[in-house]
Amino acid sequence: MTRTSDPHDLPGADPHTGNRLIDPVTGYDTTGHDWGGIQELNTPFPKIAAIALLLTFIYAVIAWILLPAWPTGRDYTRGLWGLDQGRMARDGYQAVDTVRQGWLTHFTTPDFAALKSDPLLMAQAMPAAARLFADNCAACHGAAGAGGPGFPALDDADWLWGGEPETVAETIAIGINAAEDSRVAEMPVFDWLEPADRQALATHVAALPKGEAPADSPGAALFAENCASCHGDGGTGGLMAGAPSLTDDAVIYGQDEATILTTLKQGRRGFMPAWNQRLTPAEVNLLALYVSTLPEAKP
Amino acid sequence: MGLAMAALARDSVMALHGTMALVLGLGLVFRLGGVLYDAPPADPDRVLRYDDGPTRFGIWMTLAWAMVGMVAGVWVAALLYWPEATPPWPATSFGRLRPVHTTGIIFGFGGNALIATSFWVLQRTSRARLADALSPWVVLIGYNLFCAWAVTGYLMGATQSKEYAEAEWYADLWLVAVWVLYFTLYMRTLARRAEPHIYVANWYYLAFILVVAMLHIVNNIALPVSWAGSKSYTVWAGVQDAMIQWWYGHNAVAFFLTAGFLGMLYYFLPVRAGRPIWSYRLSILSFWGIVFFYIWVGSHHLHYTALPYWVQTLGMTFSVMLLVPSWASAGNAIATLNGAWGKVRDDATLRFMFVAAVFYGLSTFEGSFLAIRPVNSLSHYTDWTVGHVHSGTLGWVAMIIFGAIYTLVPQMAGRETMAWPKAVEWHFWLAVLGTLVYVIAMWNAGITQGLMWRAYDANGALSYSFLESVQAMAPYYLLRAMGGAMFLTGAVICTLNCRATLRASRSRDLQNDRPLVAQAAE
Amino acid sequence: MVLRLHYNLEKLSMGLVGAIILAASVGGLVEIAPLFTIDETVEIPADLRPLTPLELAGREIYMREGCYACHSQMVRSLADEIDRYGPYSLASESAYDHPMLWGSKRTGPDLARLGGKYSDAWQVAHLTDPRAVVPASIMPAYPWLMQPLDTSGLPGALATLARLGLPYDEAMIAGAEADARAQAAPDGAGTDAFRERHGDRPVQRAFDGDPSRLTEMDAVVAYLQSLGTQTEAARLAQEGTAP
Ligand code: HEC
Ligand code: HEC
Ligand code: HEC
Ligand code: HEM
Ligand code: HEM
Ligand SMILES: [Ca+2]
Ligand SMILES: [Ca+2]
Ligand SMILES: [Cu+2]
Repeated sequence: MTRTSDPHDLPGADPHTGNRLIDPVTGYDTTGHDWGGIQELNTPFPKIAAIALLLTFIYAVIAWILLPAWPTGRDYTRGLWGLDQGRMARDGYQAVDTVRQGWLTHFTTPDFAALKSDPLLMAQAMPAAARLFADNCAACHGAAGAGGPGFPALDDADWLWGGEPETVAETIAIGINAAEDSRVAEMPVFDWLEPADRQALATHVAALPKGEAPADSPGAALFAENCASCHGDGGTGGLMAGAPSLTDDAVIYGQDEATILTTLKQGRRGFMPAWNQRLTPAEVNLLALYVSTLPEAKP
Repeated sequence: MGLAMAALARDSVMALHGTMALVLGLGLVFRLGGVLYDAPPADPDRVLRYDDGPTRFGIWMTLAWAMVGMVAGVWVAALLYWPEATPPWPATSFGRLRPVHTTGIIFGFGGNALIATSFWVLQRTSRARLADALSPWVVLIGYNLFCAWAVTGYLMGATQSKEYAEAEWYADLWLVAVWVLYFTLYMRTLARRAEPHIYVANWYYLAFILVVAMLHIVNNIALPVSWAGSKSYTVWAGVQDAMIQWWYGHNAVAFFLTAGFLGMLYYFLPVRAGRPIWSYRLSILSFWGIVFFYIWVGSHHLHYTALPYWVQTLGMTFSVMLLVPSWASAGNAIATLNGAWGKVRDDATLRFMFVAAVFYGLSTFEGSFLAIRPVNSLSHYTDWTVGHVHSGTLGWVAMIIFGAIYTLVPQMAGRETMAWPKAVEWHFWLAVLGTLVYVIAMWNAGITQGLMWRAYDANGALSYSFLESVQAMAPYYLLRAMGGAMFLTGAVICTLNCRATLRASRSRDLQNDRPLVAQAAE
Repeated sequence: MVLRLHYNLEKLSMGLVGAIILAASVGGLVEIAPLFTIDETVEIPADLRPLTPLELAGREIYMREGCYACHSQMVRSLADEIDRYGPYSLASESAYDHPMLWGSKRTGPDLARLGGKYSDAWQVAHLTDPRAVVPASIMPAYPWLMQPLDTSGLPGALATLARLGLPYDEAMIAGAEADARAQAAPDGAGTDAFRERHGDRPVQRAFDGDPSRLTEMDAVVAYLQSLGTQTEAARLAQEGTAP
């Protein structure tokens, strides 16, 4: 530590007296000020701080030269590397997509049977399908595809529209009641029926899956008159025929009387989004294959 | 004013807030009237004493808001583990309580501590009494009215939804008025100082007051829908709003949670350690480095977003340069303890300040690291940010406040020590342990989250669904709630201890703790 | 030299004040002012539509409930985010957002591309009780959103935003309350007027399932369904690369 001989030359020395107390611990002099008991040491500037400042500054200058950095009014400096955030994003996406396309292209023109019998391909594809399902479909159909009130189960063998992967793919791509070209499924409103009649119908329909519905009840008569046109005689229709079968377990809203009464009173227009805007055709097919295997996967 | 607000109000929030102002105003008028009416003849020795009443009140408010903010914090933390833990009332829902936590703790706890200690520090480092008897009270009470308006507003759903500036337009305006008064008072008192030079602590307090005013005004410019309603629209929109918001948001960190508290550190640490500041020259570098560099770095909150790349580069590079002055202040503080290490070992109060300086160094290092674009691509939006926040706020801000309180309160009570010196030790370990549990849990949580979001398998497909990342957080959220509860317990102990200490006040020996009645320096 | 300068500066309180203000202004000016002048930052897509009154009311509720504390509305320009959420967000998409709701924490997923992803019925079920549809969810329940929507503030809100430069005309402001009702009551009497004022892009549905009541749920769901649909700009910017 060097010290100038004339204390007046030292910034930090009291200009009036030149007085500087020496701190016994560090051996440095104080600046000579006293703020209600607080003093400061005149410890010289540590070199390491200056070096660190310089190093970080060099880092910054290099970054400014290479990257977009300084505004110039209506434009900004682009940097030597000429980076553009949007292009980097697209390139980054392209990079992972290229890896994926290695196997995903097989799904663009699907021969589901062949795809399914290729264990290597399935090993690559199924984790991807599971993630796509979890992020997009599980909210409605449940994590394992078990469905819930208002959302059909996908893990049973009973399908509303058919369980062939081709059919499922079509359902996923265009959705149900979602867009102009979607599948259409509309259960009309029967609020004009007498409440007693609706009750009779509900009793009848609730008994259908159990196979216990008497064919000669008032409910059966009302059913034949109002519903059979869509749901088929005895409720065995199918959505391909216009309305879901009411005799199996493939239920959307519930098979108890209260739910059926609500259905009759309000009508139903289930909404399954169309995914052809959000997912590529290959991804849709991938999901279709995944969904069609859910019943088998169920323990 | 309160009456006008209450009478003309067009919505319930405005009406309640008007009523709050009215009741407070009336209460104060009566109090003041009472004091003036039966006041003993003015004490001629007043000028020979520091005016510590406002500081005492401010410390109480600090502790009160600590309770509000930390209870809200623990509650909110618990909600993320037990989402059903809350009754189905709007006011207890996560989204409304979270800003209650952030505003209550930053502005209520932090702000009151800053104002209260700034009065104490300003008087002692200037050896002059506060320039005015009334305005310190107006500043403190007015400031607390702002905090109360803000927090009750969120509970009722009144918010501008600008992080850390959620309070609605009228509260914002009111704060500007309070702040102008605060600044004036500060300058007037400073002008009475006995020492020609202004001490470093006051540079920092000044920077805090000035820059917070600047940020607050620009970020909060808004057009009210009606003068009688609480709702307003920010004039800024989209990307400009985002940049202004984080220019504000980051510098709320810089000039509220950092500069102000460095002022606090620069006074209480040397006082408690009985040591001079290690280097005056380093103080200069760190102060101007912090003031100049900090203001550039807000854009590191917007990496990879729709904010133009060039602003992100500036934010990143200045954040890295900022590390040097930040560490210079932390280093200066720690080196000041040279020759006092024995005290650090034995005195929990000094240990609070030491740990604060260490966490300050840690969180600024972490901050500069997180500000690097590729690092931020992992950390942004995750709990890593929350971990960083709390290593700064619990480890640095709260610890330095507790250190200051434990230095100040016994002095105010005319005692050598707190009433229960052992409790300080307990508080210290609860605080350190709570902070470590909180921060380490959140580091793990955040890094796990970030890695899960971006993980691709060998076949180029994302590995995890979003929900899997939510489920992976559960153990960390539980740990965080426990760490927070420990920290809260410590703060409760502190509050009780302060109460006991101030109740057991003795008459003070003012021999060395009084203004110099000499020529002012300016 | 510098030291001596400082040595004198710290004796002048006003000098210090001035120096602090100066030092703390530069960064903000350099970074913020150009955001208002650089051409590519200020352009607004031709197809950007402002929110309808009902959607705007929903946005207010989104802010009131603090949804932004958990949900971002900003898909960053990173491959995994494009993969998970869709095209990365552009500055111009939020040009009409006072304030922006980009968010800073993703406790829940990003919502910038939410519009159309789920059905109204799902949104209603999810908001009423998230765990009824997503058992592992930690999102709070919002059962009180079924309360009636207060529309009285809407004309004032639209007028204020119009003063801030949003393309709301006199008719839209005057008809704000009627349009809010009309958007949630398809086939109702206000439909034609609503379409005339707001065009045919905003969807018109009984969002909460009941066309006869206008609830806060209607507003929130209408808002959520509008996210990412106000302009095609992002999709176009990424043409051919994004899903
Ligand atoms: C917004 C909720 C929702 C989401 C998200 C959703 N679905 Fe659906 N899905 C439905 C509803 C509702 C139906 C039944 C529609 C009806 O009422 O006919 C349905 C029907 C189906 C069907 C027809 C079932 C059958 O028995 O024929 C398939 C297959 C299907 N969804 C697959 C998917 C896949 C794959 C995804 C994800 C890409 C998905 N869904 C996402 C709501 C949803
Ligand atoms: C115009 C054709 C049509 C007629 C007539 C009709 N339905 Fe339907 N029904 C449908 C369609 C389509 C659906 C599926 C709605 C959906 O997907 O959301 C359906 C669904 C239902 C369901 C719910 C099934 C489930 O899985 O939860 C019940 C119950 C039902 N109908 C009963 C009846 C009864 C009883 C009648 C007579 C009063 C009737 N339907 C008349 C078309 C019809
Ligand atoms: C405590 C944090 C939290 C708050 C507050 C919150 N959410 Fe969520 N949100 C979540 C989580 C976690 C998920 C993912 C699990 C799920 O789907 O429920 C989620 C999912 C969602 C989804 C489904 C997104 C998708 O693509 O699957 C929507 C829509 C949503 N939230 C809307 C809202 C709205 C509107 C509000 C405010 C009224 C809100 N959230 C408040 C945490 C939150
Ligand atoms: C050199 C100093 C620092 C730098 C460069 C820095 C940098 C950062 C960065 C990069 C983020 C993350 C932004 C994001 O991804 O969203 C952040 C967030 C944050 N930091 Fe720091 N930090 C510093 C010091 C501190 C300190 C000392 C504190 C507290 C006392 C603090 C409080 C916060 C807060 C509250 C946030 C969260 C903002 C939000 O998203 O709401 N920082 N900081
Ligand atoms: C009792 C101790 C505390 C607990 C349990 C706690 C808990 C929490 C929780 C749960 C959040 C929300 C995080 C999220 O959204 O995921 C949060 C946010 C925050 N807390 Fe605390 N907190 C505590 C103390 C503090 C203190 C003392 C401060 C400041 C002085 C503080 C400042 C903040 C800030 C600034 C945020 C916002 C962070 C961001 O937006 O990124 N907290 N806290
Ligand atoms: Ca505000
Ligand atoms: Ca945040
Ligand atoms: Cu920051």
